[in-house]
Amino acid sequence: MNLLTALGFAVFERSGEASFRLLGPAPHWLPAGSVTEAFPFLEVFLPDAEEFWADRGARTALYSDLWTQGGATGDELHFCAIAVAGERKLLLIECAEQRFQQARSFVQYAHEASLAREQIAKLTQAKTEFLARMSHEIRTPMNALLGMVELLSETPLNDEQRKYLQVFQRAGDNLLNVINDILDFSKVEAGQIDLENIEFDLAQVIQEAIEIAAVRARAKGLALVNRIQPNVPTLLIGDPGRLRQILLNLLGNATKFTDRGELTVLVETDSDQPVPGALHFAVSDTGIGIPADRLSTIFDSFSQADASTTRKYGGTGLGLAISKRFVELMGGKIWAESKPGAGSTMHFTARFSVADAPKPVAEGSAPVVIRNRGLRILLADDSEENRFLIRGYLKDSGCIIDEVENGAEAVEQFKQRAYDIVLLDAEMPVLDGYSATREIRALGATPIFLLTAHALREARARSFEAGCTDHLTKPIKKATLLEAINKAVPAASVSDRIHVPVEAWLKPVVGGYLEKRRGDVRKLRAALDCSDYDTIRMLGHQMCGTGGGYGFEPITEIGSALEESALASDSARMRASIEDLDRYLNNIQVE
Amino acid sequence: MLKKKICMVGQFGVGKTSLVRRFVESIFDERYLTTIGVKIDRKDVTVGSESVTLMLWDLAGEDDLAQLNVSHLRGASGYILVVDGCRAASLNKAVELQRRIAGQLGPLPFVLVLNKADLRDRWEVQDTAVAEHGWPTFETSAKAGSGVEEMFLALAGKLLQ
Repeated sequence: MNLLTALGFAVFERSGEASFRLLGPAPHWLPAGSVTEAFPFLEVFLPDAEEFWADRGARTALYSDLWTQGGATGDELHFCAIAVAGERKLLLIECAEQRFQQARSFVQYAHEASLAREQIAKLTQAKTEFLARMSHEIRTPMNALLGMVELLSETPLNDEQRKYLQVFQRAGDNLLNVINDILDFSKVEAGQIDLENIEFDLAQVIQEAIEIAAVRARAKGLALVNRIQPNVPTLLIGDPGRLRQILLNLLGNATKFTDRGELTVLVETDSDQPVPGALHFAVSDTGIGIPADRLSTIFDSFSQADASTTRKYGGTGLGLAISKRFVELMGGKIWAESKPGAGSTMHFTARFSVADAPKPVAEGSAPVVIRNRGLRILLADDSEENRFLIRGYLKDSGCIIDEVENGAEAVEQFKQRAYDIVLLDAEMPVLDGYSATREIRALGATPIFLLTAHALREARARSFEAGCTDHLTKPIKKATLLEAINKAVPAASVSDRIHVPVEAWLKPVVGGYLEKRRGDVRKLRAALDCSDYDTIRMLGHQMCGTGGGYGFEPITEIGSALEESALASDSARMRASIEDLDRYLNNIQVE
Repeated sequence: MLKKKICMVGQFGVGKTSLVRRFVESIFDERYLTTIGVKIDRKDVTVGSESVTLMLWDLAGEDDLAQLNVSHLRGASGYILVVDGCRAASLNKAVELQRRIAGQLGPLPFVLVLNKADLRDRWEVQDTAVAEHGWPTFETSAKAGSGVEEMFLALAGKLLQ
C-alpha cells in the first residue's frame, strides 16, 4: 500500500453500507473526515461503483471523471476515483495532477482554437458588411459623377475639353477598378478571386496606364518612357484590367517617390520562361529608392518601407500586396531592385496566352440604342440625381418614364398600369428595392432591374433571390443600361405596339385624351371592385362616343362592350374589357 | 447546516468557472482555463434567516468533443444555465442542455444567466430570443461582478422555498 501512496493513491475498502476504511498511510493531500465527506464528487460516482462491484462483467476497474476541489492544504487539486474489481470492494482516490494537466492541455487547445475560429468568422462577417457598406457609399456618388461625365461627353465640346473629359473618364473608371479590387481583397486573400480570360491588346493596356499615370508625372516634371521590345506579342489573352491595375500601382508608386528624372515601363519576353506569352515587365524610376533590408517586405499587406513614408507620401500600403497576388495568379512573381537615392525597379513576370489573329477593330462601332420605341418604364429611386441620370440616358430612346421615390410607391404605381421595364434602386426608404421586387414579381413577369451600388457577389445573389431579372451595379454606364433593356425586352415586343396615325390638328389634344382614358382604367377597376355598374356603363358610354373621333376605334368598341356588359351585370366581360383597354392604352404609339 | 447542490452548465467558454470564482472568491482572471470534468466549490450563504451551504458543481462546458454527463447532476437541487451574450450559439446550446436535463432528471429549478454583461454592446443574443422561453433570467458580468451574487442568492432562495 505504501507504493500506491507514493504513486499518489489513497486506498479505501468498503467496510459497510456507505462506509469506507482507509488502508495504509494517509497521503498528505487527503482532506480530513470520511471519504464521502472529503470528496463530494463520490455522491455521483458511488452509485455507479456499487453497480460495478455487484456486476463488474469483464472489466477490472471503473474510472470516474476527473474532478477538481480544494485539498487538505487548501490548494486546488485534481482527483480521479477508481473502483477496483475483486473479492474486496476497493476504492482508490488518485491525486491525478499529471493526467489532469495532459487532459487540460489537449481540451484547452481545442477550445481556444474553436473560439478563435468563431472570432475569425465574426470578423470576416464584419469585414464583409463593412466592405458592402463602403462599396455602396462610394459607388452612389460615383454613379452620378461618372454618369454626368458620360452625358457631358455627348454634348458639343472642343478638342481640349474632350481630351480632359477622356482623362477624367478613364481615371474614374480606373478608380472604380481600384475600389473593386480593394473590395475583393479579402477574397484575394482567401484565394477566391477569378481572373478574366479575354483577348486584349497589350500595347493599348500599357498606353492607357501610362496616360493615366502621365497626368501626375507631368505635374512633377517627370518624363514617362514606354519600351515594348519588338518580339513581344501584343495581342494576348488574359486579364487586362488586373494587368492595368498592377502597372498603375507600380507607376503610381514610382511617381510618388520620384521628384526628378524619368519613369520607364519596359516589356520583354521572360527569358526564364521560354514559352509564348510569358512576359517580363519592369517599371523603373529615379526616385528615393528602398533600403535593402525592406526590399523583401514591401509586398506584405499594409507595409511601406518606413512608417515615415506613410506620413510623407500617404497610401494604404495595400497596393503592392494586391499586385503581388494578381501577379501570382497570372503565374508570375514580383520583386524589387533598388539603390537608395538612385531609384528602384519593380519587376514582375506574368504568363498570358497569345491570341491567334487580330480582332476586328471596334472603333466606329455604332452606339447602343433602344430597339423598342415607346417602352413604358417605371423608375424608383430616392436620389433625384440618379433619376436625373437615368432620364438623361433614356432621353432619346422614346421611352416613357414614370418616376417614384420609394419601393412602396413603385408597387402601387405598378398596380395602376402595365410596364415594359421596372428599374428599382436597391436602397430606398419605406420599402427597399429587394422587397419591392418580391411584391412586383408576385404581380407579374415584367423585367425588373435592381440598381445597386453594392458590388459584392452576395449583393447579386440577394437581388436574384428577390426575383429580379438583372442586377446592374452602379455606376451604370449608358450602354450597359440600354443593352440590358434590349436584352430584357426582345424586339418581338415591338409587334405588340399599336401604331395609330393621328391627324396633325388633333395631335395637341390626343395626349390629354389618352391620359384621361388611363384615368378611366383606374376608375373602372375601382367601380368593378364595388359592383358600381352604373359608373362603368357611363364611362363606357363616354368612350363609345369619343374614341372614333380621335382615330381610336378600339376605344369605341371597348366602350360599347363595357356599356353592354354593365347593363347585363356581366362582371367577367367587364373585367376583360377593362384589361383590353389597359393593354391598348399601354401599347398605343401615336404617329 | 443545510446543503444544496447547484450545477453550472453551458457551452464551453461562457464563463461558468468565472462566475463561481467571482461568487466564492470575489476574483476574476482574464485567462481562459478550461474546466476538465467537474470543479467543486462551496460557499455558505444566508438567505433571509436561513443559512445554507451551496455546493457549486461547475461542470465542464459542452463542446464538439465531449457531451455533458447528466449523471453529474444527480442529487442537485437546481442548476444554472450559463450563456455568453456575445455568442448566439451558446443560447442554442443552453436550450438543448435544458431539454436533455429535464428529459433525464425531470423538472429541476434553474435560472438562465446571460453572462459577459460588460460586453453588452457586442451581444449577439437577442432579448426576444431569450424572452420566448419565459425562463427566470439574470444578466451577469463575472468580470465586473455585476449581478453575480444576486443571481446565486436568487436561486438559493428559490431552492429554500
